[in-house]
Amino acid sequence: MADIASDMPMSAARPLRFRSFSPLGWPVYAWFIALVLVPNLLLIGASFLRTSNGLIVFDPSIASYVRLWKSSSFQFLLLKTLATSFGAAAIGCLIAYPMAYYAARVVRKNRSVIVLLVIIPLWISLLMRVFAWRMILGQNGVLNSFLMGSGMLDQPSEAFLYTGFSVLLTYTYISIPFCFVAIFTALEKIPHSLIEASQDSGASSWQTFRHVVWPLSRPSVAIGFSLAFLMTVGDYITPSMVGGIDGTMIGMVIASQFGIANNWPYGSAIAVCLMLSVGIVLALVMWAGQTKGVLMGDEGAKPAISRARLTPGRRLLRTLAAAAFVLPFLFLYAPLAIMVLMSFNDSSVQAFPLHGATLRWYAELAENASMLEAVRRSLVVGFAVVLVSSVAATGFAFAIHYGRVRQARFFEFALAIPVAIPGVVLGIVMVLATQLVQVPSGIFRTVIGQSSFVMPVILMIILARLRRLDGALLEASMDAGANHWQSFVHVLFPSIRGAVIGGALLGFTLSADDVMVTLFLSGTAPTLPIWVWNQMRFGFTPSVNAIFTLVGVGSLLAILVCNRLVFRGTSRAAGSS
Amino acid sequence: MAKSSQAILTVAGVDKTYDGATRPALDRISFSVEPGEFFSILGPSGSGKTTLLRMIAGFEQPDVGRILMDGDDITHVPPFRRDVRTVFQSYALFPHMSVLENVAYPLRMAGARKGERLAKARECLELVSMGDFAARLPHQLSGGQRQRVALARAIVCRPRILLLDEPLGALDLRLRQQMQHMLVSLQRELGIAFVYVTHDQGEALSMSDRVAVMSEGRIAQLGTPREIYFDPSSEFVAQFVGRSNLLPIECVSREGGITALLDGQPLSGITTPRTGPARMAIRFECVRLAAADEPANGACSVAGKVEDVLFLGNALEVNVRCGGLNIIAAVTSAGEGYPLGREVRVLFDASNATVFHG
Repeated sequence: MADIASDMPMSAARPLRFRSFSPLGWPVYAWFIALVLVPNLLLIGASFLRTSNGLIVFDPSIASYVRLWKSSSFQFLLLKTLATSFGAAAIGCLIAYPMAYYAARVVRKNRSVIVLLVIIPLWISLLMRVFAWRMILGQNGVLNSFLMGSGMLDQPSEAFLYTGFSVLLTYTYISIPFCFVAIFTALEKIPHSLIEASQDSGASSWQTFRHVVWPLSRPSVAIGFSLAFLMTVGDYITPSMVGGIDGTMIGMVIASQFGIANNWPYGSAIAVCLMLSVGIVLALVMWAGQTKGVLMGDEGAKPAISRARLTPGRRLLRTLAAAAFVLPFLFLYAPLAIMVLMSFNDSSVQAFPLHGATLRWYAELAENASMLEAVRRSLVVGFAVVLVSSVAATGFAFAIHYGRVRQARFFEFALAIPVAIPGVVLGIVMVLATQLVQVPSGIFRTVIGQSSFVMPVILMIILARLRRLDGALLEASMDAGANHWQSFVHVLFPSIRGAVIGGALLGFTLSADDVMVTLFLSGTAPTLPIWVWNQMRFGFTPSVNAIFTLVGVGSLLAILVCNRLVFRGTSRAAGSS
Repeated sequence: MAKSSQAILTVAGVDKTYDGATRPALDRISFSVEPGEFFSILGPSGSGKTTLLRMIAGFEQPDVGRILMDGDDITHVPPFRRDVRTVFQSYALFPHMSVLENVAYPLRMAGARKGERLAKARECLELVSMGDFAARLPHQLSGGQRQRVALARAIVCRPRILLLDEPLGALDLRLRQQMQHMLVSLQRELGIAFVYVTHDQGEALSMSDRVAVMSEGRIAQLGTPREIYFDPSSEFVAQFVGRSNLLPIECVSREGGITALLDGQPLSGITTPRTGPARMAIRFECVRLAAADEPANGACSVAGKVEDVLFLGNALEVNVRCGGLNIIAAVTSAGEGYPLGREVRVLFDASNATVFHG
């Protein structure tokens, strides 16, 4: 069934097709086998083993599945996890849709800044955001301080933190940016002439939305929903930080089977069940979201130039829309702001009122040798991951785009599978794979594990840019007498350089922030987020705020630079065309 | 029931300046369209014709002035309550609806029952010979087919006014001609007033009852195609409509009257109101070529040499160098050719020439 896909205006100019067999395709197949196929087969294989006295017995059995089948607590937990993530993604879409609609169809200026503002929280360490929520919701947290200060509560409430609700709230918080970005891009692409044609046909605003805007944006709502769902469904950090007993999720159970409980086959079986149920949910969502037809790009995308005069009723609507647009920003930024504030607060109790400014927590960090070691390790891992991933992604993108890979569609999709695997499952999958070839836990293992999901992200960015490139560029270069290699160096690479650099920086932040996968792989060589995670288990001091503020500022700078590069690349391209 | 002589659409003194623009997009535009009339708005890009159309459709609001339909002021009526339909330049077919659903959409919005609206939509598709494509999606159609679906969607409710925004712009020549015939016969059949915006003077002249030529937000001339073509009121119209030589002339007082001089040669029969430099427009096809020694017989005549020739199939365009000027003549391609460098006499009748001062 055809989806709404309009981001390929050059579809008429097909890239050159080469011989269907080419050695340039081999690395793609090798990567797929080593980092996607074998690890996942191992997971499935491991789930059919059993343990005896804490040791794995190589004896095919369905013992783990039988145990799961009989365990009503597992089934309840699985359902609760799916329901919580589903609910959070649904609420996220509900909040993000009006925001995206406002940003894409009402706001005229500085749209890219608005989009960036929504995305920034997405790229600031997950740990940091969850930790901030803990500070807000905790017993002597900000919310309780506020409620008591304003006289609404006599004593701190315990209802906010360590409940299912706090997990749902934090998941929703994580979901909003994903939903927003997907919905925004769809709404922005809907040609204005379609809306005019609908009005011209006698449709009111609501009818136009119901019959034209909504069906055309529905596939992207499904995509945003799926992304948000995937991000939260395998998350074991949020539940273990804010969930407590009531908020336990299945990710924590899987993680514990590979940790304390040390029952890998059972953990693998749960992971397989989780992946299957996630797959089913996502397939249903995608099915429900599909819309027939294809935007051809010739419908004309001219934005609204002028607007009808505002009646009082419309003015009220407009104000409501603006509120629905601005309020989520407060929701997105409040935790971050509080965290930064607390890092300068001269008190070890993290609650209002503040006790005056200090740099003590930052000073404390500088003396912390093990933390500095973790920072150094994070940088090493980040650079290695980015180097491996961007070189591989560039090569793969060219191989796929220029027909050097058989079944290019399949491999493009297959290489991206690790991105679509819940974090906790990807972590254990990579543990199994590296264990098989006897890579010890540590930096090397971490690099392999992180590359498995960083590479596809960079690959997607580069492929998107390659597809937007005029197909005639390569032909023109070869026509001018350049061979393939010369064309790559002088024409193709310069035109995708922005995408490569942007992708690399994004990859770096992904690598530097990752906890879910890295925790399984790093062993005794923790990266910074893992170090922080370990610290927090032993109770935390405000110096954690200071680290996160620094990490946040660092990722922000990286993102700004990356955005600048990508943006400059596109504006230069626009200027030359 | 309105009298047939009453204008169905009146645009009265409309001004429009976009925010941040220095020049007005529309500058004191006034005209009326009669019921069942084929009215064209012709102008180069940027002349304000699309803005005007969007204003009639209700997508733009004038700064000053009113738009009346059947005598009722509809200036502030939203687009979905106007009995006006638009065929969009880009067709604007809903990509997620089949051809039939697209055509039935206006009926659906009007609250028609499903059976009724599908029947009407099918009937309308037959009218534009697209009956066999009802189940297709827009992306499975060719440009000309999409065009006809867009047309069907616009006329399915039988509006009193149909607006067409350069609807043939994206089609190739042959399709364009087919569609022109179809539009004219459809308009006769339905009796709907068409307001047709185009930059193609051929389309405007061939189909319209009346044409408004627009330039820089104003109506430069409004008249029948014949008036526009043969009696342009300004240099701009002469240049934009048809193909004209625009020749500098000098008007001097001589022997009690005013005589026009072209490159120093007097032109017989050309009368001008005043002296001084001016320009004379003469259509390519009003210029004749004769042997160098043939007498002028009262026509204006200039001697020259063939500089280059374009073969256009049914005609030749011969560019003749006459002293310091070039004059282009469109002559029949049958008969003798015009070898380069040949001495010829350029002849035209004073009655076909229009002189512009200023």
